[in-house]
This record gives sequence, C-alpha cells and structure tokens, in this order.
Amino acid sequence: MNYAVLRMASLGSRSSFGRLAGIVGGTAVGACLLLLLWGGANGLTARDDRGAWLRETGQPSAVAGPSGDTSSPSPPVPVQLTAGTVLVEPNGSEIFRDHLIERRDVAALAGTTVGIPGVGKPPEPGDYVASPALQHLIDITPGDELGSRFGKFAGVIDDSALPGPDSLVVVRGATEAELRQNGRAVLISDFTRNPYGGSAAAYNTVLCVGALAVLFPVLLLISIVTGLGAAQRRERYASLRVIGASPRVVATIAAVETAVPSLIGAAVGTVLAVALRPAAALIPVNGSRMFVTDLSTGWMAAVVVVVVVVVASAFVAGHRTLRAGIGPLGVTRAAHEKRPAVWRAVPAAAGLAALAAAILADRSGEAVLMRVSSLLLIAGFLLVLVGIVAIGPWLTRLVSGLALKGARTADGVIAAGRIQRTPVATFRSVSGLVVAVFVVSVFAGGASVVASPKTPPATPGLMQPSSLSATIATGAKPDQVVETVRRAEETSGIRSAVIGYGPAALSERGAAREIYFPAGAAAALGFREFPAVDTVAVDGSFFYSWSVQPLELTAAPTGTLDGLVPVVVVIATDGTPAAVDRARTVLNTSGVTAAPAESPSDITLRSSGRLIQGLAVLAYLGMFVSIVIAGISLAVATASAMLDRRRVLGLMRLMGMPASVLRRVIAREAPVPLLTVVSLSVTLGFVVAWLMVTYVDDSYRLTWPAPEYFIVLGLSLILALGAVLATFGLTGRSTALPSTRFE
Amino acid sequence: MSTLRNVDIILSARSLRHSFGQTEALRGIDLDIKAGEVLAIMGPSGSGKSTLLHCLAGVLTPDAGTVTYRPADGQPLVISSLSESNRSRLRLTDFGFVFQFGQLLPELSAADNVSLPLLLSGTKRREALHKSTELLDRLGLQGLGAKLPGELSGGQAQRVAVARALVTSPAVLFADEPTGALDSLASENVLTLMLELVREAGTTVVLITHDARTAAYSDREVVVRDGVVGTGYRVTA
Repeated sequence: MNYAVLRMASLGSRSSFGRLAGIVGGTAVGACLLLLLWGGANGLTARDDRGAWLRETGQPSAVAGPSGDTSSPSPPVPVQLTAGTVLVEPNGSEIFRDHLIERRDVAALAGTTVGIPGVGKPPEPGDYVASPALQHLIDITPGDELGSRFGKFAGVIDDSALPGPDSLVVVRGATEAELRQNGRAVLISDFTRNPYGGSAAAYNTVLCVGALAVLFPVLLLISIVTGLGAAQRRERYASLRVIGASPRVVATIAAVETAVPSLIGAAVGTVLAVALRPAAALIPVNGSRMFVTDLSTGWMAAVVVVVVVVVASAFVAGHRTLRAGIGPLGVTRAAHEKRPAVWRAVPAAAGLAALAAAILADRSGEAVLMRVSSLLLIAGFLLVLVGIVAIGPWLTRLVSGLALKGARTADGVIAAGRIQRTPVATFRSVSGLVVAVFVVSVFAGGASVVASPKTPPATPGLMQPSSLSATIATGAKPDQVVETVRRAEETSGIRSAVIGYGPAALSERGAAREIYFPAGAAAALGFREFPAVDTVAVDGSFFYSWSVQPLELTAAPTGTLDGLVPVVVVIATDGTPAAVDRARTVLNTSGVTAAPAESPSDITLRSSGRLIQGLAVLAYLGMFVSIVIAGISLAVATASAMLDRRRVLGLMRLMGMPASVLRRVIAREAPVPLLTVVSLSVTLGFVVAWLMVTYVDDSYRLTWPAPEYFIVLGLSLILALGAVLATFGLTGRSTALPSTRFE
Repeated sequence: MSTLRNVDIILSARSLRHSFGQTEALRGIDLDIKAGEVLAIMGPSGSGKSTLLHCLAGVLTPDAGTVTYRPADGQPLVISSLSESNRSRLRLTDFGFVFQFGQLLPELSAADNVSLPLLLSGTKRREALHKSTELLDRLGLQGLGAKLPGELSGGQAQRVAVARALVTSPAVLFADEPTGALDSLASENVLTLMLELVREAGTTVVLITHDARTAAYSDREVVVRDGVVGTGYRVTA
C-alpha cells in the first residue's frame, strides 16, 4: 500500500490527533493493567516459594518404643539428632498485639550441615535471627513485651527466605533437651521447597476472576477508543473509496492507523506498569505487602502484552471498518440497532431457577438428585453470569423507555431517546462492569456469612478475654512453675497468676478431664460463685478458645491439691495490650510451658475471616479498577456519541438551545446505564450469594457485607461519574456556534 | 434600496462588516426586512449570504455595524450588542431555523424532534407533543409522528424540520438553502407548504438560496456579491 496514502489517512487532519491521543491513552491503561495483573500472579507464586521452608513438616523426633505390655506402653524412643538433621519446634502461634509471628525454635549439633533458608547456620542456643519487620517491632517495643521472648539478637533473615517485607519470622536457637521436652519438635534434614500448603492457589483463583473482571472492561475500553470519531472517519474512508480504494484497502488503513497509536500506547503502558510497581506492591495480600521485584514480569511478558494489545486493537478497527460496508457514497443512513428482545431475560432467570433447583435437589434426600445438585449449582452460577450480560441491553432499553415516557424536559427526551435507540451500544460500554460488580457482590454476600469471630465479652464461667493460659510441659518442676507465677505477679499490668493442678501433665496419659484450683483462685478465674470448699474443679474445656458455654466451679472430688502436679498457669491482666504481651513473655520464656500462652481474644487472629479479608482486598480492588475503567469507557462512549452528533446538536444550539441543556443530556445519558447495570449486578449478586450459601447450609444467614464493599462501590461510582462530567468541556467546545457553522 | 416605513421593519442591518481572518465576508451591508415579507437572499457560493443570515439571526456578532430587531409587541433590540445567552433566548423564542440537511436528532421520533423547541421554552411535554402532531398533520405528515428521521424520505424529513422551526410560532424564520438537498418535486412541495403556513401566521421569512426557482417563491430578492448587497433587486410583491 502507498505510504503517502496511509500517512494522509492516519494524520489527515488536526481532529485526528484527539482520536489518536484517545487510543494511546486507552491502550496505555490496558497494557499497564495487564502487566500489573501478570506481575501480581508471578508475585504470589514467588512469595509462596520463598515461604515454603516455613511449611516444612519434617520427620517425628521420636518413635514408638518396643511393644510390651499393652496396658502400659513403653515411652517413645527419641530419634537421634545428627549432623545431617536439625531439631525444629514450630511455634506458629507466637502472638504480639494482633500479629501472628512465625517462630521456629531450632537445635542443631555443632557440626551440622543443615542450613536454614535466609539464615544459614542455625543460631546458637539463646540467640535468635529475625525478619527485618519483626526486628523493627522488637526495636521499638519494650523488651518485656516482645524481645525478651527470643533471646539475643544474632542477625536478620534474608529477604530471599521471606514471603514479603512485612513477614514476621523468627528463628530461635535452643538446646536439644529443651526442644525434646514437649515432644512436638520434628527432625528436618532439608528445608525443601514444599509446594503444598501455600495460599497462592486461592489468591490466584481470585486474581484470575479479578483479571477477567478487569480485562473485559480494558478490552472494551480499547475497542471504544478505537471507535472514536467514527462518523468523521467514515466520511474520510468514503472519500478514499471514491478515488478507488477497495474495502480491504480501507480496512487496512483503519487497522494501521489504529495500530500505530496502539503501539505507542502499549509502550507507554509498559513504562507506566514499571513505574507503578512500587505502588502496587503496597497492596497487602494475606497480611503482607509484596517485594517490588516480585511484581516483575520480565521483558518477554511485556513484549507479549504489547503485541497482543496492538494486534487486537488493529484487528478490531479493521474488522469494524470492513463490516461497516463503507461505499463511495459513505454510509448515508445510520444502521439502527436491532431491538433487544425479551428472550435476553431467559438465561438469568434460568440460572436463578437452576440455583433454586440445586437447593431443592440437595434437600430431597434422593441420591440421584443430590448428585446433580452440585452440577446445577455451578450451571446456575454460570447462567446468571452470562444472563446479566445478555439481559443488560434489554433492561437498558426498558429503563430508558420508561424514562422517555416520563421525560418532561428537552434534555430528558434527547438522552432517553438515544439510549432507547442504541441500548446495545450503550450497555456495551458498561458491560465489563456487570461482571466485576456481580462477581464481587457474590463474594461479598458469601463472605458476610463467614463473620469474623469477635472476642467474647467478659462472662462469668468463661475464660476472661484479658487473661492468658499456658499448659505446663511434661517434666516441668513444680518449683519452676511457682517461680514463673511469682515473676508474673511482679510484672506490671498483671493482676493475678494462679496454677491449676491435675494428676498428670495434660499431654500425658493419666491426665484428668478436670483441672483443680485452690478456692481462692476462683475470682482470678472470673467466677463469681463457687462452692464453700478449699479446692474447686472446672472442666478442661474452660481453656478452649472456642468455648462459649459458661461453666461452673464444683467441689474437687479429691478435696485437696496434695499429690497433684501443676498442669496449667492462668494469668489475669488489666486488659491493656502491653500487659497481655508482658504476660505472654513471662509464660513463653519460663521454660515450663508446653506451648505458647493463649488468650480467648487470639481466636480472631486465627480465623478464616482473615483469609476472607485478604481476598476481599483483592476483590474490592478489582471492582474499583473495573468500575473506574467502565466509567472512562462510558465517558469516551458518551463523548464519541456527542461528537458523532455534533452537527445536529450544534444546529440545535444555533437554534437557541443553551449549552447547559447539552450538559444535562450528558449527565442523563451516562448515569442511566451505569446505575441500571450496577443495581442489576448488585441485586443479582446478593440473590445468587444467598442461594449458594443456603445450598451449603440452611442455617447460614446473609448479613450486610463489610463496609469496605459499600465504600469501594460508592467511591468507584463517584470516580466513574466524574470521568463522565469531564466530557462537558469537550462537548461544549465541539458544538460551539463557530464550530457548527463550518461543519 | 427601497424605502420602507420604520414601523413595518422587523429586522434592519446597518453597515454590517464581518471577517474570517483575512477574508472579508461582509463589507458594509445595509438591509431592511419588512414584517411578514418573504425575502430571498441570493448570491453565488462564498458571496457572504450565509454569514449575513447568521449575523441577522444573532448567531454571529458582526465586527462592525448593528442588527436591530423590532418585535411586534416590544421595544427594538440591538441584537448585535446582546449577550450570548440573551441571543440564544431570542433565537429560541422569536426565531425559527431550517437548514439544508442533518438537523434532526436521529434517535428521536419526528414528533419528539418537533416538540424540542417547545420543551426548551418550558412547555409541558403532553402539550408540546399535541402541538407538534397538529403541525405535522398540517404539513401532510399524518401518522408519521412516531417515525424516526431515518425512516422518512428527504422531503418528509425536511417538512419535519419546517414543523420544528414553526412550532414556537416565531416572528422570523431563517431558512438556509431549505430545499438544497431535495429533488424539484419535493422541493416545490416543501416550499409551498412552508410558505402557506408562514403567510397564514404572518411570519417573516429570510430565505437563503442560489436557486432562482426557489427565490421565485419570495416577495423580494436581494443579491449578495462579494460581501455587499447588489443593486437592482427585484420586488415581486
């Protein structure tokens, strides 16, 4: 093809530059988001890989002894620690304030050949190495609240062994005897990269859904910006057809004139993605930000994204021009859209029916029906997803029809009239939004069932939220336990410390179900009523963090504590976070406890609600990006529609229509489809969520989603509408009287 | 120039000058337009006739000179010194416009298109649609009010445009090549119907054309050439 013709077609007029700038901007946003999403997927996997050593389960450090008399089996026989192994006690429940700390206590022989990732040689007994984030916490916190739990600082763990920059990890050196005491330690010969147990799969699933929810609007945005100024370009193409250009040549010109700015846009988007990586890395996923390098995709990915964006946008432009059937006389009459029929409501209705049928099938008790119920559930969800995209134009037309009937003003008639005649094109600009808002609404609705457990209120008969308990390790000397209690009582913020007794340590055979206390400890345990005896007893479930049923103190059958051993220590604090952490430090460094101290309030840190919250951050972010892009698409589509009607609207202004009417037309044309589809997506999202959780369990009750959902939804809509309002200036200028006169 | 009594004159231009960059489109035009007359402004392409129409209608503000409008029931207004918003209001309430093509909103029905000026003036929609349908009927478009512009022939679409221009009962109708895109039969039909309505209502018409057959429908012709009104214009009525 002739280069000069191409050049003329691409840069034929000054007005072309606005369109070209639009394509550059649209493709830049698209390419940037694609690369950031790609980087996010890479980052999650890299993070899981680096943290794999923390999930290493190892081999038991003791094996069952030789079988003898079955009534009294032999004690387990320790497996010998060698230079090729290290003894590791995982203490994943080390807690400081509302942070979970990954703690590993390690014992090794002097000549060990086993290296710990990010650390190398295991720390000496009494020393510790910590991640930079944890060490920072230790540095800024009084020692008796945190630092004293670990010993002497011996270095930081390298980033290469940390999931993220906010990871709280500590490796503490210990003696072999210390770790063998509890029987929980394992022998590890190699901290292999354990591929199992990571959270990347869950997050990547959300990321894929998010990517689809974002990708769809991005492709639409690119498609819409390539259609900018269609009316004027059709005239130019018609001129080319007059002088002999074939439809294929014209389509090629359209493709090339789109490919060039797309290439520039994709390149700008790549640079933008690199520049935005530090900001993207700040988004917390599963409690930690990411390392900026994690979001790197490599140059091959950048090339792939650029090529895909350029080829896709050029193809769309060429195909659209070919399909428009531009003849030498141009497109004399605009082709009107086919009226969306009512069948478009069928898939969504069928989907809802399938979901309801899934519940009924599951409850029927018939084996065959129960088997198909899960298939119905999946099919129902997918049908509703497809259904809301299908129903959109029909609903848009329905709403605009009602708006047209009820219109009282010129702007109302003009706006509703356009939407009424072009519901498919109007809906297309916001259809990506439908998917995003629907999926996130289903998620938010479903997540509302998994309510984060709250710290139970102080109730007599239940472990007090401001108290901590720790079980005593087998073989701990009673004197040491008494010394621990004495130390606790001297610590600031600790109100009382009491010892619970039993016939044997709780981990031992022969341990009783009940724990015995001196009667004077009843108040310290939070009981208001207790029998008038010297020794009282409470069921062992009193110390379970999930207990919700208040218990009563009873008279101990033994009547005395004589002959019993300490099995648990309970510390009551004044409830301040500092006091709670000081109590943890006292107990966890005492050397007599079998496991880190626990408080009823710890339940909130270990709940599945945390994972949901982590996923919610990604989901809401996806929805935010999607709505904003949809808003930009809508703004571009609105501006494009205005520019295509600039002559007629300009003539209307010439006849005396004030510019404010035009602004009101835009203000009506854009929000109607936006709010219609958002309402539709939100409603269907929650209906589907309700049907799905009902399928899982009748007792589940959907509640209001987290406030973040509404905040993100509201903020996104405001930004989207802001983008639409930004077109006021452009349309005002393009329909100004001097512009119209020379049209 | 014919001498007209001041009381009969609805629009008058004095020493009108207007330039586009280095090009002088109007070079000192004086023109009086009588109330109720149909005036044809003729001239070759680029002579300045459309610029003259835009200055008379308050679309453009002349670089020099004045345009004065004398409404039947009010004080004379110097259009050229009004603000843009006042000129817009004047165009909406007192003037009507018909152009050669592309003036109807393609997504709105014929009746909705016609009713727009009434809605802009604050008329209730039901009343506006009623008036519009009535006017469409008078222009021979019975039953076509619900049609979209794309579903109408060129002549029918132009009659819809005429209806929209006349629906507010303007004092002056400005028509810029109103039949320029129509065949002669359709052209004759549109002009006949349009002039029948305006004569009945006593509306003044300023008709721009370069077609002598179209100009023949007028009461008076003036010729604009190189930005000035030529001498020896014809008075047919």
